[in-house]
Amino acid sequence: MKEQGVPDNRKNNKKAAGIGIALSLAACLFILLLAIRMGSVYISIPDLFKIIGSHITGRPLPAEVDPMADSIFWTIRMPRAITAFLVGGALSVSGAVMQAVLQNPLASSYTLGVSSGASLGAGFVLLCGFSVAGIESFMLPLAGFVFGLLTVALSILLASRIDRSVSNQTIVLIGMILSLFVTGIMNFMMTFYGDRSKQLWLWMTGSFSARNWTHCAILFVVGLIGFVILFMLSGRLDILTFGELQASSMGVEVKKTKITAMLVASLLTGVSVAFAGVIGFIDLAAPHIVRRIFGPSHRIVIPMSFIYGGAFMALCDLAARTVLSPREIPVGAVTALVGAPFFAYVFFAKGRRKV
Amino acid sequence: MELVLKNVSAGYGREKVIENIDLTVKEGETLFIGGRNGSGKTTLLRVMSGLMDFEGSVTVGGQDISKMKRKNVAQLIALMPQAGEMYFQYTVFQTVLLGRYARSSGLFGSFSDEDREYAKACMQSCGVYEYKDRLLGELSGGQLQRVLLARTYAQGTPFLFLDEPGSNLDIKYRAELCDYLCKWAEKKTSTPYGDIRNTVVAVFHDLGQARSVCSRTVFLKNKKIVADGPSSSVINPEKLQEVYDFDVAGYIGSQVIDH
Repeated sequence: MKEQGVPDNRKNNKKAAGIGIALSLAACLFILLLAIRMGSVYISIPDLFKIIGSHITGRPLPAEVDPMADSIFWTIRMPRAITAFLVGGALSVSGAVMQAVLQNPLASSYTLGVSSGASLGAGFVLLCGFSVAGIESFMLPLAGFVFGLLTVALSILLASRIDRSVSNQTIVLIGMILSLFVTGIMNFMMTFYGDRSKQLWLWMTGSFSARNWTHCAILFVVGLIGFVILFMLSGRLDILTFGELQASSMGVEVKKTKITAMLVASLLTGVSVAFAGVIGFIDLAAPHIVRRIFGPSHRIVIPMSFIYGGAFMALCDLAARTVLSPREIPVGAVTALVGAPFFAYVFFAKGRRKV
Repeated sequence: MELVLKNVSAGYGREKVIENIDLTVKEGETLFIGGRNGSGKTTLLRVMSGLMDFEGSVTVGGQDISKMKRKNVAQLIALMPQAGEMYFQYTVFQTVLLGRYARSSGLFGSFSDEDREYAKACMQSCGVYEYKDRLLGELSGGQLQRVLLARTYAQGTPFLFLDEPGSNLDIKYRAELCDYLCKWAEKKTSTPYGDIRNTVVAVFHDLGQARSVCSRTVFLKNKKIVADGPSSSVINPEKLQEVYDFDVAGYIGSQVIDH
């Protein structure tokens, strides 16, 4: 394909993208190791791998490894770092998809009211002490998850009742109205249970402390299902970014694709919020940075958003627990404090370019 | 294959933009839709491609267009939109390739080498192949217009609906566009529904372009069709005065209207 003097850059582009992906994966693994290793207790890399090896193979721990280190790293730090990674990844994928579906670079699942709904659910549990026997320890994430998804479902339902074509403006407006309304209910509740609102505030600002392997497993399964569905939609998402009318004329079932993508993206956000509280910014920043590096094609943006968002979240959680140790900073505050200036730098340093 | 509109009304909100339209487009025709701003040309094109809600019936080859799968419609009808805001920075090549969506069977929206070759040919005929690796945000209005045109061609449909395809184009590209359309309209396209003769339905503001491409003309005014017939007889000074409320013939001179 050398005619007309136009070089075929496809092979070069593919090679460059391959190198970019490999480097990103390496950096991501490095960050995960860092997030597991750093802290008040030190461990050597070989010892860490011995611990992981013994748990995976089921063999007893080698004698030279301190059993104390085993409990710290295997039961505390690893599940915590991996939970942070999975939550960051899920939030970023969800953000990437919402931005494409709503053709709005500022959109995320939070736009549709996931976070305010989840907070209301958590509020019911924490403030009113509402609980179901047998699953007390999972009441909080469960309520957050269910209320978050219910709010999104209500947003979409209302939007489709008001506007048959479910246009983006309607969805964004309904989502905002519903979010504000739900937050109003929540504030109303807080006036009656003021004494317990500190606990709620802590939950709402996000944390990964005391996460265990069960959390990881649930996140992994839900995350994987959501990821696969959204990845399968990636071609349709590419087309949707050109607007609904064009997408429809190019052969995409717009309404069906949109609603599926929004529900699955909200599922990812819902499960993240359930296990980590409301953590903003990553869902906005990670996809934008990924698009700048790899271009806007969703077959790359979706997996890379997962990797970048996950690594960024693991790093933020590392900062949250180590910078002011032994005091812990809410991880939501770290993502915004670190993320906002970094995001601004990435965006404005080399001249303005759309998305 | 025919595209048939029966008693079609459509609009935005409560306001109807077109009312009780009856229109049949046969395969192989080249149809010009004319009329003043706001006369419902774009709405008519959208209804004809099943992109908006309407009352009445629209059928393609006997099938109700509003009940067909979008993918099947998109294998028959491609609508070139008026260019809008592009938020996501795809390259020219990626954009044109997306036009193959309805015809490609690749998993996860991947495209075959055949699709790539097809997209390449479409880019070449629109003169955008030289900047296939540029981002959409780096293009001028006319370049973007030609990229969208190439993407519309890439759909590989026998029915090509064009909404103001000449806007933003310089005179050379406008001439090339007309030339391309005239040649294309002579050919056939193979579809999952068999070979179908190529059909153009286009909105133009330039009557010269309209005359050079389209042998049939439909004029819209006050939500209705006020003229329908061979371009050579319908485009006459009296009709133009009636449709455009203005002495068009006197304004543009006699080079377009030869009566």
